[in-house]
Amino acid sequence: MLINNEFNEEKIQSPQQYIWSIFKSKNIAVVSMWAVVALILIAIFCQYIMPYPPALQHPDMLLLPPYWVDGSNPAHLLGTDDLGRDTFSRLLKGIQLTLTGALLITVAISLLGLIIGSTAALLKGVKASIVHHLLDALLTIPTLLTALILIVLFGMSFENSLLAVSLSLLPQFIRGIYNCIETELNKQYVVALRLDGSTNLRLLRYGILPNIIEPIVTLLNRIFTMAVLEITTLGFLGFGANLEEIELGALIAKNLDLIYISPYLVLFPGLAIFMIIIIFNIFAEGIRHAVIEGED
Amino acid sequence: MALLDVRNLSIDILTAQGKIRVIDKATLNIVDGSIHGLVGESGSGKSLIAKAILGVHNENWIVTADRMFLGNIDLLKLSSKERRKVMGKEIAIIFQNPRSYLDPSKKIFDQMREVLPEGKSKIHFLNKIVSKSTHKQIIKELLHKVGVQNDQEVVRNYPHELSEGICQKVMIAMAIANNPRLLIADEPTTSMEAVTQAQIFRLLYKLNQLHNTTILLLSNNFGSISNLSDYISLIYCGQTVESGSYKQVLNSPMHPYTQAMIKTILNYDENLDHKSQLYTLPGSIPPANQLPIGCRLGPRCPKAQRTCVTNPTAVNYKGHVIRCHFPTLDEK
Amino acid sequence: MFNYLIRRLYLLCITSIILTIIAFSIQHLTVGNTLDSNVFSQYLDYLISISQGELGVSALDNQPILKTALIAFISTLELCFFAFIFASIIGVPLGILAGLERNRGIDYSIMSIALIGLALPVFWVAIIFTMLPNLTGWVMPIDGNISVIYEVPMVTGIMLIDSLLVSEQYQLSAFYNHLVHIVLPATVLAIFLISEIIRLTRHSITMIMRSNYIKAAHTKGFSRPQIVYRHVLKNAIPPIIHQLRLQISTIISFAMAIEIVFSYQGAGMWLFVSIQQGDYLALSTAILIISGFILILSIIVDLLLVLISPTKRKVLYADQ
Repeated sequence: MLINNEFNEEKIQSPQQYIWSIFKSKNIAVVSMWAVVALILIAIFCQYIMPYPPALQHPDMLLLPPYWVDGSNPAHLLGTDDLGRDTFSRLLKGIQLTLTGALLITVAISLLGLIIGSTAALLKGVKASIVHHLLDALLTIPTLLTALILIVLFGMSFENSLLAVSLSLLPQFIRGIYNCIETELNKQYVVALRLDGSTNLRLLRYGILPNIIEPIVTLLNRIFTMAVLEITTLGFLGFGANLEEIELGALIAKNLDLIYISPYLVLFPGLAIFMIIIIFNIFAEGIRHAVIEGED
Repeated sequence: MALLDVRNLSIDILTAQGKIRVIDKATLNIVDGSIHGLVGESGSGKSLIAKAILGVHNENWIVTADRMFLGNIDLLKLSSKERRKVMGKEIAIIFQNPRSYLDPSKKIFDQMREVLPEGKSKIHFLNKIVSKSTHKQIIKELLHKVGVQNDQEVVRNYPHELSEGICQKVMIAMAIANNPRLLIADEPTTSMEAVTQAQIFRLLYKLNQLHNTTILLLSNNFGSISNLSDYISLIYCGQTVESGSYKQVLNSPMHPYTQAMIKTILNYDENLDHKSQLYTLPGSIPPANQLPIGCRLGPRCPKAQRTCVTNPTAVNYKGHVIRCHFPTLDEK
Repeated sequence: MFNYLIRRLYLLCITSIILTIIAFSIQHLTVGNTLDSNVFSQYLDYLISISQGELGVSALDNQPILKTALIAFISTLELCFFAFIFASIIGVPLGILAGLERNRGIDYSIMSIALIGLALPVFWVAIIFTMLPNLTGWVMPIDGNISVIYEVPMVTGIMLIDSLLVSEQYQLSAFYNHLVHIVLPATVLAIFLISEIIRLTRHSITMIMRSNYIKAAHTKGFSRPQIVYRHVLKNAIPPIIHQLRLQISTIISFAMAIEIVFSYQGAGMWLFVSIQQGDYLALSTAILIISGFILILSIIVDLLLVLISPTKRKVLYADQ
């Protein structure tokens, strides 16, 4: 079917519309988008979805299995732990804490990283080389080690573990942004913009940023994934959570002793982490593909 | 005798906005031993035709043709493996921006060696050592043939260490290594300075004269190739508008587009008025996703009438093929 | 080339000085210092003691902390090495296949595997793996580096070699025992590494397959295996190595998390125990050792890349 009909003026789409139309045409991307929305809604309305308060103990119902296994109680969908606390509620609470933490970190890092990274890329001379070497040095420290150090310095709490994770991931993101902008700066259109007399800010906003959407999406996806993994790792190692604040990693750690009695207690939080990362990755991949195809 | 006979070649590209017909029933008839010029503005689909002939198209292309014969081989019926074999032996292609078509991490010698006739069969270990010196000799001859004097030095270099002109000569040397029957030159001289351009064209002409290599010369510049070619086809927005021998097209152009193109060639003996405007067609080339229906020149054509919204059929006047509803036939 | 070497070494110097400053400030903040001299002279003292290889004594066992840390870190490296070999053997061919068959069924299935490997939290996989011997009935140790019945004296610090050196005492059983201990943690780390390598390889291969010289090779009538063997691989490998170089710190991070689950005596376990028991000197020591190692390794990789890849050399010439 030819598309050169007489109404073809309507077919001219703005880049955003074009990317969106590509994104819409991919089922898996759209499904993942709704899953992301659902996850965020769960995180926001966690209080209202939870059947029981996560710390409420049911002394008469200890170590119940999930509802599809014999000996379960339909009142507790995913069973209970050794103190009779509802696994489903605790899981939701854990998802809420982990997801909000990771999203907060991603937003904070993307704002800070964009500012620092683009300033560093546009700087020249001594200042640039100081930033460069500092980043080089920071990048050689493994993120887990950075997080451990910061937790030792600030003390153990969930907020501090979030701070530690974001500070340990920040150099990676800055370096990524820095490299993207650096390669764009060497292109001809930037020279043309410069010759037009555009300021650095204008150059960034209208020249460079629209051209580095794809690497930024990739970087953000990576930062989010690493943030989830590190928050849960720190929680698992016992550096993150207080007693009430049971994010998914801490949940695994707390139930680790029960793994042979009731393996579900360890399986479910792990699967929850897995699902969060998978959903966000597919979503980001969908956006990335749409952007790449839109640029072609 | 026709070496390459392509009839009603159409290419559709699948995009997010739907299917776009970029090449609309192009017909190409290349006579053995001639230089055939394919002229069209950039974006008109010359390279697409070349790629479709070679079969190196992307996955989102749909290529259909009524007939595609190379000599007496039906290219459409070959499996991709057989076709590759035919391509390697019978057709060679040289590109614009030749440097990007050379492997950046291999020395010129190794790359040229690959295309030598023996190089393509499996090289045995012993054979390899023995044949190296003979290969060296062959490569040297090839490079001399295309006008590279310091062959020793060129052969030892990586592509990024050579100039575009030298790279193009290397490409031509690689292309003629197998004595192909058809050489497709895809705008071989863009982004080169005038002297190198002249050298490359002279080289192609010599190849045609001495080795009887048929050349399909793609260009966006009517002036630069018109005196080189024996036959000329013009293409506009994926439609072949006129094709015929050099004399037919140049002396008695029938299609309005051809007439416009010929008018754009500057002749100094013409007495142009001082500060008068040079001749161009009104308007500009439409983008590929907003092509007009029927004859695609329609909106820009000085002779367009109502019937032009239907696609004209090709008419053959003694080998002079045109696709136009209102051709100029007064010279007949 | 020589200039490049000098420039890299100069970078190494500056970055390592920054690292010592970081390590010093961490030591200053965590351990504290009773001396009332100013910070700068303390830092100079610190530098001198580093150059003499004296990083202080651990508060836990009164052993020089550098030795403990080095032994632990070498164990970590052993783990990473095995995981890396394993992951390369599996990941690179899969990545190449996915890159060549881009957007077909096989590509999608390989990329799904890679996505799953990335999304699984390593410590959780490690926990599942510690359960495996119990569930399947394999005899597989899940704790430590080597069974306590073997007394392996420290000679090189690399357990793999040390356990071979005691072969007249235990034949090869100590060596095998060590290998068996390393298998499960290395597999867990390899799961992450495989997905990383698949992604990088696929990306690199796709980029190369799109380039003009591959199209040219098609027109020359080469078959696909020929093209891959002659043109794609040589151009695709350097970017993969370059990207992996940037991931070394992430890999070591994950290795440390895995060690803690398997109580494998590596840098992660050592740090974990030290921090829990309040020996914060371990932090600055770990920075010096681990970051120093990563720094030197990445410079070596950089130099190697310049040696093997002519395209890298091109960039180098253009710089000068």
